[in-house]
Amino acid sequence: MGQSVHYLGLIPLFPLMGAVFIGLLHVFTCKNAKLPEKVYGLLACVGPVLSFVMALKVFFQLKALPVDARFLSHNAFTWFSVGDLHINMGFLADPLSCLMLLFVTLIGSLIHIYSIGYMSGDKNYGKFFAYMNLFLGSMLVLVLGDSPVVMFVGWEGVGLCSYLLISFYSEDTNNVLAGNKAFIVNRIGDLGFVLGMSFLFWGIGASGFDYLSLKANIHHLTPAIALTVCLLLFVGATGKSAQIPLYVWLPDAMAGPTPVSALIHAATMVTAGVYMVARFSFLYAHVELAGDIVAWVGILTALLAAIFGMFQNDIKKVLAYSTVSQLGYMFAGVGVAAYSAGIFHVFTHAFFKALLFLGAGSVIYAMHHEQNIWKMGGLKAKMPKTYLTMVIGALALAGCPPFSGFFSKDEILFSALATGHYGIWAVGLLVACMTAYYTFRMIFVVFHGEPRDQHAFDHAKESPAVMTVPLIILAVGAAFAGFLNMPGVQTVSHWLAPSLTEHHPHASSFVLVFAMATSIVAFLVGIKIAYSKFGKGAAEPVFSGFEKFAYNKFYVDELYNAVIVQPYKAVGSSIWKTIEPNVTDGPVKAVTRLYMMIGTAFKVFQVGYVRIYAIYMIVGLSLMSLFLSQSLN
Amino acid sequence: MIHSYLYLSIILFCLGIVGVISRRNVFTVFMSIELMLNAANLAFVAFARVHESMDGHVLAMMVMAVAAAEAALALAVVILLHKHKSKLDTNVFSLLKG
Amino acid sequence: MFAHVLSVIIFLPIIAGLLLLATPASRNIARFTGMIVSLAALVLSLDLYMGFQSTGHLEFVENIPWIASLGVSYALGVDGISLFILMAGSVLLPMVYFVFATKEKGYYANLLIVQGAMAGAVCAADMILFYIFWEVMLLPVFFMLGLYGGPKRLPATLKITLYTIAGSLLMLAAIVYLGVSYHAQFNEWSFALDKMAQLNLSGRVAAVAFFGFMIAFAIKIPLFPFHTWLPDAYTEAPTATTFVLSAIMAKIGVYGVIRFVVPVFDQEFARFAVLLAYSGVIGMMYCGIAAITQKDFKRMLAFSSASHMGIIALGVFCMNVQALTGSIYQIVAHATSTGVLFLFAGILEERTQTRTISDLGGIAAKAPVFALYFAIAMLASVGLPGTSGFIGEFMIILGAVKFNTAVGVLAGTTLIIGVCYMLWMFQRVFFEKATPKSENFKDFSLIEGLAFLPVIILIIVMGVYPQPFLSKITPSTALQFASAAPVVAQAASATNAHLPELTIEQK
Repeated sequence: MGQSVHYLGLIPLFPLMGAVFIGLLHVFTCKNAKLPEKVYGLLACVGPVLSFVMALKVFFQLKALPVDARFLSHNAFTWFSVGDLHINMGFLADPLSCLMLLFVTLIGSLIHIYSIGYMSGDKNYGKFFAYMNLFLGSMLVLVLGDSPVVMFVGWEGVGLCSYLLISFYSEDTNNVLAGNKAFIVNRIGDLGFVLGMSFLFWGIGASGFDYLSLKANIHHLTPAIALTVCLLLFVGATGKSAQIPLYVWLPDAMAGPTPVSALIHAATMVTAGVYMVARFSFLYAHVELAGDIVAWVGILTALLAAIFGMFQNDIKKVLAYSTVSQLGYMFAGVGVAAYSAGIFHVFTHAFFKALLFLGAGSVIYAMHHEQNIWKMGGLKAKMPKTYLTMVIGALALAGCPPFSGFFSKDEILFSALATGHYGIWAVGLLVACMTAYYTFRMIFVVFHGEPRDQHAFDHAKESPAVMTVPLIILAVGAAFAGFLNMPGVQTVSHWLAPSLTEHHPHASSFVLVFAMATSIVAFLVGIKIAYSKFGKGAAEPVFSGFEKFAYNKFYVDELYNAVIVQPYKAVGSSIWKTIEPNVTDGPVKAVTRLYMMIGTAFKVFQVGYVRIYAIYMIVGLSLMSLFLSQSLN
Repeated sequence: MIHSYLYLSIILFCLGIVGVISRRNVFTVFMSIELMLNAANLAFVAFARVHESMDGHVLAMMVMAVAAAEAALALAVVILLHKHKSKLDTNVFSLLKG
Repeated sequence: MFAHVLSVIIFLPIIAGLLLLATPASRNIARFTGMIVSLAALVLSLDLYMGFQSTGHLEFVENIPWIASLGVSYALGVDGISLFILMAGSVLLPMVYFVFATKEKGYYANLLIVQGAMAGAVCAADMILFYIFWEVMLLPVFFMLGLYGGPKRLPATLKITLYTIAGSLLMLAAIVYLGVSYHAQFNEWSFALDKMAQLNLSGRVAAVAFFGFMIAFAIKIPLFPFHTWLPDAYTEAPTATTFVLSAIMAKIGVYGVIRFVVPVFDQEFARFAVLLAYSGVIGMMYCGIAAITQKDFKRMLAFSSASHMGIIALGVFCMNVQALTGSIYQIVAHATSTGVLFLFAGILEERTQTRTISDLGGIAAKAPVFALYFAIAMLASVGLPGTSGFIGEFMIILGAVKFNTAVGVLAGTTLIIGVCYMLWMFQRVFFEKATPKSENFKDFSLIEGLAFLPVIILIIVMGVYPQPFLSKITPSTALQFASAAPVVAQAASATNAHLPELTIEQK
């Protein structure tokens, strides 16, 4: 059995306490005495770095254990317990969560350091770091939670931080709307998550609702319930990880500061859905249909987002759609039951996408918050470090051997091929080609050719070291992380094996080589087209026809607005303008009216003359006497 | 023998009723009510005589006492009414008309 | 701890309130009396809470014969269910005196009376006694709304009073019916709660009596479609009254269902549970959707409160221990979150002289502490994990899924509906650019900040470490199902078979 270690609970606690502390400092000082930025910067980095150190400790302790007993747990306290429902505030570190833990804390720390430079001069400097720390704490709860309910705490917590950070520049209505959109769309997913948990609980939860007990009892679940649970949980994943049909919030989420886009909306939070599916691999592995649905939704999202990505002009939007697209790959991976491949892509993607976003942030910082790529150009000469690191990131994203993205993406395509999902493989290959195209379109337009805006170009300069050093560290990761799991080595797959219910397909080496070769061809074709169109400078294109349709994202936002948002509002206003006064209040008003009518009818008798009242009295008394005398006889 | 007294009582009572109903002067109405009270008293005394019981006498005395008290109040009310509208026509006082 | 602690908690505020009304006290004296008395009640309640043994049965019982010939007694007691509603009142009400400093004498006196009456209704273990407190509860609300309310207060007062009295009279008739039935079955007069539970009721008359109770409570909760008094009353009432109505009085309606309807009418309850559950869930969605288009933030909060009450009531109708416990936990959570939100709305109204959402903006930048408090209360109200709102909501949805899948799925939409209107409001009031009306918004003073701090901390503690609270509730809720288990189990399986008949009864 695994060991119980007390420091597991500390890992999320460090950043959470940092958040509370920085938040209070900010609230109490933002009006009068402003603290120097350095104080906040230092305080903010303490939590993430300490967590990273702890994560390393977890890693080495796990490594020392025998393979089939590799897990550490810590049960902090009974969270709530009613009837059969026992939920502990418990944490679990097994190889899967340990891998997530390592790269989340590492990239989190790097992005905190980067932010010290990027956010300098902002009036809400302290608030920013409080939210960032809160985010990291929630993310660690998500990763370390030992039951779906604890995971859900982190799951919603990261959603909240995402909302807060997207609407960080809250004076602009558009930013706040983007934040609202993110939170509400995520909540739609969360509905699926909560219902999934409910069904799972009534299925097998009574004998323990933590992952280990669930895994042990999974065969008691009836197939229909298992499928329902899988699909409902996947609804949750589509919300958090921006898949069809709930992907719409992620591109808008780029309204937040760039380090936020890098940390939350590229490297960590959005991969939570993939992590969740891998966490539940013991469930998904039993339900093939659910896996197929996951894989197809994933690969179609990848295709759709890649199409959008090819026609965006905003540097962050390009990267945002590429994130959606890569997330689609990951779901395709876990959908075809290649959980380790999916998680490995999460791992490499975190490096190269964080790198690309931070690089983009560096460019935006240098261009004084200009994000349109058609206002840039020729920046290669001015920002050599940023250029170099971004090219490494782009190569990794595009899947150029031997950069990290190549191995992880290839692993997914290979798994699809080896398990007989030829359709998914074919679409995936097409997307790989498109990825190479839009990535290098961006690189060529931004860094090569002639400056398009001479004034901004003249003022552009390389970012300070506090920003470039994290870039370089991430670039190293993006370049070499792939070797950890290259065919034949498979370190990561072996490491993850105890956590995942996975059967590695036995395919011939021909399939392996074929998959690799086609991937490389796809990459070359993509980059070739990009070079021929944009390599030597190009003017801003005018979109028409299909291009315009894709540039406007197939008008999906407008469709959702017309089909869901507007009717919802219309129902809302009709309820209190029409239904409320007429229908639900109707019976009340009817009773009042009835009383009035009866009163009016009886009014006739109230003539007001004493004589007439006397007559009523006499008539009444006479009738009573008559009645009495009759009944006496 | 008793029947004669009772017929007289009934006649007086009916006269009272007709007075209350048909007259519009407040004083006349009031006098009609007194007439009805006395009709009732007559019936009480007659029955007391027949049954040789003092109960009827007691009640008759009681009614007379109440009538005296009532007369005092009623006259005060009538004076107020007259002050208010300078008229003693009951039709003028029809505030309870619905 | 002494013998008659419940009586003291009930009558101390009532007597203080009556004395204030009878004497020519100034408003400052009234306010300080209110402060001291409510704090004294709080101390006593905390003492009670500490001494509570979690047996699941009534504790701190007082039983004195009152109208012996009719078997009416002055019987009091608390169990895990009533304890938390009592505590919610005792903990939350002192805040009002600290926050609203410049009100009339009658305002504070009525608040004291309503506090005592609510405690009485929650502690009563005799139906007649409960009925008396139930009616006394309404009077101060009537006066506060009618005297100190907003410009359209008179129609609102009339509506709430007529509505509530109509419900109460039905309940009185049902109580009398129960007493007579008890006399017929056991040949002695009694209105004591535990004796009523032994009644063997069946047939059409029992169903009528059941609806007599149910309608009274449904109006108080309010359950769809008996909610139409609520938006007007909540909007027009002075802040403290809205606070009392939403935070505690509405909960006593739910409490009444748990305490009086479920044990006495177990068969009828099981028969109509599906119908009632749909009523709760539809009310939740209906009011939640209506909330998003409101232009007045107090009215929006009123609809939001009605929406949450739908979910809380649903928890009671689901007939399993998770949902019921979740419902009681949510009662407290909702009292802290929405109750405090109403107080914040009152402060917002006082300082900006407007209730229109579009007149405001940018308050987060002007008043960070206020915004932080508001945000925490708001997040609790939308059920974010880590705040008090999540635990109850999760358990109710969990239980609802077990009870009836369709109801469960619909109940789950509260996650989305709640967040829609809250964020929309938060955006327009706290974010965006400041408007002329909100430009000079003053942040909390130190005293205000400290007055609200305990509740804000409570919201977080109840979300992070709920087990100490739950362990006091669970024995009582488990007992509800232990005694009624056979009937409920049998009826739960037969609920669908009863459906056609049930629709006929409705017409």
